[in-house]
Amino acid sequence: MEPFSVVLSALLLLSAFVLMASKRIHSYIGAFRVQAVLVALNTGLLGLTTVAATGRVDLLVVCAAILALKVWYIPRVLHRTYRAVEYRVEKDFLFNIPTLVLLSLSLVVVVFVAVSRIGAVQDGTTLVLLVDSLSTALVGLFFLISRKKAIGQIVGLLAIENGLFVTALYASNGMPFIVDIGVFIDLVSAVLILGVLVFRIESAFETTDTDAMSDLKG
Amino acid sequence: MELLLWLVPIVALAVLALPLPRRVRHAVSLAETLATAAVATFATWTVLTQGTAAPAMPGNLFYLDAVSVILLDLVALVGLLTSLYTIGYVEEEIRRGSLDPKKVRALYLLIHGFLFTMVLTLTLRNLGGVWIAIEATTLASVFLVGFHNGKAALEAAWKYIILCSVGITLAMIGIVFLNSAAQGVLAEGTSLDWTALFARADSLDGSYLKFAFIFLLIGFGTKAGLAPMHNWLPDAHSQAPSPVSALLSGVLLNAAMYAILRTAAIVNRNLGSSLYTGRLLVGLGVLSVATAAVFLLTQKDYKRLLAYSSIEHMGLAAIGIGLFTPLSLFAAFYHMINHSLTKSLLFLSSGTVLQKTGTREIGRVGGLLKLLPVTGPVFLLGLVAIGGTPPFSLFASELALLTSVFQQKLYVLGAGIALLLALVFAGIIQALFRVFYPRPAAVAAARAGTAPAPAAPLVPGEPNRFGAVAVVVLLALILVTGVFLPSWLTKLIDAAQTILTGQGGG
Repeated sequence: MEPFSVVLSALLLLSAFVLMASKRIHSYIGAFRVQAVLVALNTGLLGLTTVAATGRVDLLVVCAAILALKVWYIPRVLHRTYRAVEYRVEKDFLFNIPTLVLLSLSLVVVVFVAVSRIGAVQDGTTLVLLVDSLSTALVGLFFLISRKKAIGQIVGLLAIENGLFVTALYASNGMPFIVDIGVFIDLVSAVLILGVLVFRIESAFETTDTDAMSDLKG
Repeated sequence: MELLLWLVPIVALAVLALPLPRRVRHAVSLAETLATAAVATFATWTVLTQGTAAPAMPGNLFYLDAVSVILLDLVALVGLLTSLYTIGYVEEEIRRGSLDPKKVRALYLLIHGFLFTMVLTLTLRNLGGVWIAIEATTLASVFLVGFHNGKAALEAAWKYIILCSVGITLAMIGIVFLNSAAQGVLAEGTSLDWTALFARADSLDGSYLKFAFIFLLIGFGTKAGLAPMHNWLPDAHSQAPSPVSALLSGVLLNAAMYAILRTAAIVNRNLGSSLYTGRLLVGLGVLSVATAAVFLLTQKDYKRLLAYSSIEHMGLAAIGIGLFTPLSLFAAFYHMINHSLTKSLLFLSSGTVLQKTGTREIGRVGGLLKLLPVTGPVFLLGLVAIGGTPPFSLFASELALLTSVFQQKLYVLGAGIALLLALVFAGIIQALFRVFYPRPAAVAAARAGTAPAPAAPLVPGEPNRFGAVAVVVLLALILVTGVFLPSWLTKLIDAAQTILTGQGGG
């Protein structure tokens, strides 16, 4: 199963770059959905091997939750929010796309250096898996910083979480079950709350560009 | 018995969700915090006599020891006084027309949900659970920050949820790596338990732990308001309704600090010294105090002034935790207790000041001692206390902290902190004089400036009698703890410090 994981983790990182290079909010949500599918595949694959080895079905349950929430429900909420609040197309990023992609590449290098210094990470495969998944999280963080629209920032938060979740899978075959479930509950409530906030911001500021929110200083 | 700490808020939330008259809501809210305080007292007694309180339950999720029970008591105490204050606050807001009576239900539900998540943070055994609870505190309080739905409140709420969620997600990386450090050392299912991690800290993999700690510190440090991740704090704390500010500043910051304390203890024990965590914590701590000092000197809004002062005090606590000597840990705990009480006093009285004068601007308040015969003087003394002046308790804990710094022969650090504290003091006292002894002409000019003149001249008198009682109680508490610590509290802090340093069997 290792070769599959390596391929999947590389695809995951690629999806982070696709997200970073997207220009429209609809394509953000699409890229996020693809990323979520990859996360689900990874979880399912690992879940099948644990079932075969120990008979525990935790990870398969988590995989089902990912498919239901991240692949189906959350993108739907985001699309709905988008249709309700965005009626004009505006430029949504701080630098141009090639610069952003180059900066993201250098992030991957930084992660590589940092992870290879953990003494416990000895073998090459684990190193590759951890570098791919942690880079996905950090590129997600950079995506969040680089977008000005509220919905873009929500997608960024979700992308960070995707990367982290897979990191947890690779680093230690997943977290204790109760932690995974709790994280999911938090995540879904966060997205719902953020969605409501976007509506309120839109009605107060008449835009969801977070640059408009700059009254509080000092 | 201790499990009532979880049961009481759940029952109260269920009751508060029902359609009830406002008076009953006030009563339920007060009863909930009273019951929580009673259970917390019982739990404190259990911890004092038995060392820990971990009632049997499926999954063994619940765990209390001296470290968490001190902070839990603060949640209970500040929660109780805040709910007392909130009764008068809500009535006055409704009378002034700035709160829709229909929103009282939501306000109470959110406040009690928020209190519950903080109790959860402090009573869970599992670090993953603590992470979930801390993220839940953000989610529960974000609509409280944005409660007034104005532009500024929404901006603060958005910043708050985005920055804190990103921070807490980074902390998750730390937890993932702690979990992998524990693989093969700890039994399946206990790999994130405080007790198990700490007991076997020696056998964990140090390189994983070092990597994990950086992320945990950044993540929980964001929530604790340490610079340079503090940007959301002044906005959120100043825009929230005042009782909520008191909870955010007074107890939520401690809850985040608690997670840092525990993880630092594990890493220190594994590495055999506190040098690694110490450098990071002291660095962030000094940076926080310095950042706060600069903004305190030029602050025009008194609620933001209080928020920046919270960053300063959390920075001091971080320095104490960073040094990790028995005395510095004692100072850190003592400081967190004192800050909690003093800051909730100040935010609660600032709420009354805001209701009375209708302005947040320091230069436009004026004449408080006459306008608010009780809250006015209490606010004045509170400001004196937060600047670190004797005989109030913050002076005592700052002194203990500086002593611990010099005891470690860190003269430059000690001198730097002392200098920064002097700057902070100058900032606070300067604000104090502008609030309480302004030149009348300046106030008149400021009032005539932008805002419309008040329809009627302000009449002296307390708008919030419950609130006045609450702040007087808090003032009495910080005066007493400044000169005298009850022996049970000293015993608790000593026990907490022993648990963290692992001396005496932990």
